[in-house]
Amino acid sequence: MDELEICYMSAGDLSRLVSKKEISPVEIVDAHLSRIQATEPVLNSFITLLADEAGASARQAERDIQSGRYRGPLHGIPVGLKDLYNTRGVRTTSGSKIFDNFLPEEDCTVAVRFREAGAILLGKLNMHQFALGPTGENPDYGHMHNPWNPEMVSGGSSGGSGSAAAAGQCTITTGSDTGGSIRIPAALCGIVGLKPTYGLVSRHGLTPLSWSLDHPGPMVRTVEDAALAMNAIAGYDPKDVASANVTVPDYTEALTEDVRGLRIGVPKEYFEVPLDPEVRQSVQNALSQLESMGAEVREVSFPMFEQSQAISTAILLAEAAAYYRDVVEKDGDKVYEPVRLRLEAGRFISAADYLRAQQARSLFDREARQLLNEVDLLAGPTEPVTAPKLLAGTVIAGEHEVGTVGALTQYTRPFNITGFPAISVPCGFSSSGLPIGLQLAGRPFDELTVLRAAYAYERATDWHKRRPDI
Amino acid sequence: MPSGKPLTREEFDSMAAQMGISGEPAYLDELFSQVRGIVTGADSLREMDVSNAEPDMVFVPPSA
Repeated sequence: MDELEICYMSAGDLSRLVSKKEISPVEIVDAHLSRIQATEPVLNSFITLLADEAGASARQAERDIQSGRYRGPLHGIPVGLKDLYNTRGVRTTSGSKIFDNFLPEEDCTVAVRFREAGAILLGKLNMHQFALGPTGENPDYGHMHNPWNPEMVSGGSSGGSGSAAAAGQCTITTGSDTGGSIRIPAALCGIVGLKPTYGLVSRHGLTPLSWSLDHPGPMVRTVEDAALAMNAIAGYDPKDVASANVTVPDYTEALTEDVRGLRIGVPKEYFEVPLDPEVRQSVQNALSQLESMGAEVREVSFPMFEQSQAISTAILLAEAAAYYRDVVEKDGDKVYEPVRLRLEAGRFISAADYLRAQQARSLFDREARQLLNEVDLLAGPTEPVTAPKLLAGTVIAGEHEVGTVGALTQYTRPFNITGFPAISVPCGFSSSGLPIGLQLAGRPFDELTVLRAAYAYERATDWHKRRPDI
Repeated sequence: MPSGKPLTREEFDSMAAQMGISGEPAYLDELFSQVRGIVTGADSLREMDVSNAEPDMVFVPPSA
């Protein structure tokens, strides 16, 4: 089989071949290493590539499978972890040279679960420094580039995860999402990014940014792969104080292609903020598609949406400033200046303002829950614009020129505030050839409904089949 | 952090000094700009009636 075809196959399709011994994990890993070698000079997706280790793991997986010890759908499938997921004996930098020599003594829970599922770790993925930014900027390890146009950002903070999955460098990648850091690069790179419910996937062994807003989750090319990844990594972990002890379903049960009767609410406030007309049109087309498939799409009102930036900023920056205070005091001159500015600005948030933001968060959560009593999902754009140019401080959204950071997080941060599950799925391309994402958010722990709608939409369209010309 | 009125540069400089935050003038100018933005956001939250809401310190899943 052609190596490029292997690299663009989904985990689901690869696993069906692996289980029948029609392709070996060694072939799969070799194909991906070749792909990385060919594209990495442009994309800069990886901070650490584990070529030798991945090769050895692939040979072991091949022996296991040949001798009848097949572990399931992720056995022999390449995985990349954002470089704030601790990996035993493998440096974990959080995107900063300050931690260039940090070798964790323990794997994070997600790494353990992927390994138990038989997945093969290809490497550690580049990220916006300290995960504090939505564009994928990193002067220490190089900025990340969008596979659809390398002059554009891949998004952040999980930018290397987005570019690696979109360019066929890796089958399954992971991100962490504090204000949108899974869904932003997913939308800008044209892949699927799932931010699960807070507490569903363990944060143990991940470098925090904001304890009460951080969510780990998968970034992949198909909704089926998001379900397969969730089957491996979701579930209670006593090592994470916020881990939820809930029953975890088989997420592939969501893959039914049936959205009949599903009630989808579209907050009218989403369309009252700066929004690129091409994005608006693509999202409206996607909603019409879902309606034509039997979903009931209706306008709803989400008045507190406009407070999301103030709530999110106060909580996120105060918590991030607390976590990184010692680092900035000791090594502030080694921190990327835009990141350092945000960390030091966070120190000006008083305890009273932080707690008031948490009170406002309760009200925000209450309103979102009431909305999700009326409908099953909330839908809208993931991003108001397509991928901006690298290092652009502002973007044009419709008739407005707005700050890049605020714009890229305007639709994503509400679901970090509530902790509800939210997915970005490709729903179109701009006239300049850049991807557009549809965001679907659901009730807490109802990933099945989120995945069900996303899968049905994906199957009815072919956006996910397009490949960047790289 | 002062509330109800715009943060002045003098107040900012005083607070930054107390916190041990220093830098080149251009850096402090940019930090001041960002802090003023945060203060504006915090002021908008102060206008909300949150009297019936406890701080949502950790999201508690209803079925957990």
